[in-house]
Amino acid sequence: MKKIQWRKWNRLIHRDLGYLCAGLTVVYAVSGLAVNHVRDWNPNYKTTESSFNVGPVTAEDPRSADTVEEILRAGGLGSTYRDTFRRDENTLDIFLDEGRVTVDLPSGEASVEFIQDRRVLQEMNQLHLNQPRGLWTYMADLYAVALLLLAITGLFVIKGKKGITGRGAWLTTVGVLIPLIFLWVYR
Amino acid sequence: MSFRSSFLAGLGLVALVSACATTEAPFTQYGEALTLTENTSVSAILADPDAYVGQHLRVEGTVVGVCEMRGCWMAVAGENDGEQLRVKVEDGVIVFPMTAMGLHARVEGIMEKIELTMEEALAQAEHQAEEHGTEFDPSTITGPSVTYQLRGLGAEIENGD
Repeated sequence: MKKIQWRKWNRLIHRDLGYLCAGLTVVYAVSGLAVNHVRDWNPNYKTTESSFNVGPVTAEDPRSADTVEEILRAGGLGSTYRDTFRRDENTLDIFLDEGRVTVDLPSGEASVEFIQDRRVLQEMNQLHLNQPRGLWTYMADLYAVALLLLAITGLFVIKGKKGITGRGAWLTTVGVLIPLIFLWVYR
Repeated sequence: MSFRSSFLAGLGLVALVSACATTEAPFTQYGEALTLTENTSVSAILADPDAYVGQHLRVEGTVVGVCEMRGCWMAVAGENDGEQLRVKVEDGVIVFPMTAMGLHARVEGIMEKIELTMEEALAQAEHQAEEHGTEFDPSTITGPSVTYQLRGLGAEIENGD
């Protein structure tokens, strides 16, 4: 009976899965770095701020089209807007396609927040966090299984001193211990 | 399988997924499809929130605020100045885009009453200050608080330009 060359198959699976997973691994790794620091920066949107002063807004209805357009023109923001919201007696929000203008009505001080999508990174984050749902859920499941297979086959690619019975064993143990130590410290 | 046929198969897969994902609808759907046809006025809810707690409601209005960090909530304006109803969704399950501000939204969800202890109110205020990039002032929280929100199940938000 012909002996099954399991190590050859192991290498083959590891190699081809590696090629298949390379693109997605880049997506998940880059997005992982981005969303891991969500408290320090916004990984999906780039916001820039500026301000201008339009002078005290004394109009009876600050939400009227004339008043809003006057405010926008004073800030060099054109005259088109989506909608407005009177947050409180002294504050008017004007929503633009590109962001939001918040006006302090008594002083006329207006702060502008421009919101821009972080293209590519935002799409990567959407895939990483499975926002598309549907078919992507199964694709992400397949990727997870492929990663699992990559990890397992990776253990047995090399035999000998640098394989899983030598140096590989130590490094694998360190890799397993790292999350366990963190779990123990943070429990 | 040759490189060329693999490449063509990959392109085919991308085209298929793109075709499934393409939408021409004037609204983008988030979460579950809406099932109710009648709206409840945000102003009516805010006037007597206890009367609506536990009810499955549909509201409509302009989006006047969105969670900047995770898109895990948005605020829908009422009919009168200053009125806004917070729609909270499970983190990561529905993600509202920041660019939805100023657009019209239809939302369905369950009305909730949230009673916070002093400690919880402090923690929430601290989180909100962090989210808005403002300084947290603990003296603004003087005791336990009660808030109302719609636990969002699904939403349709008008597509921007």
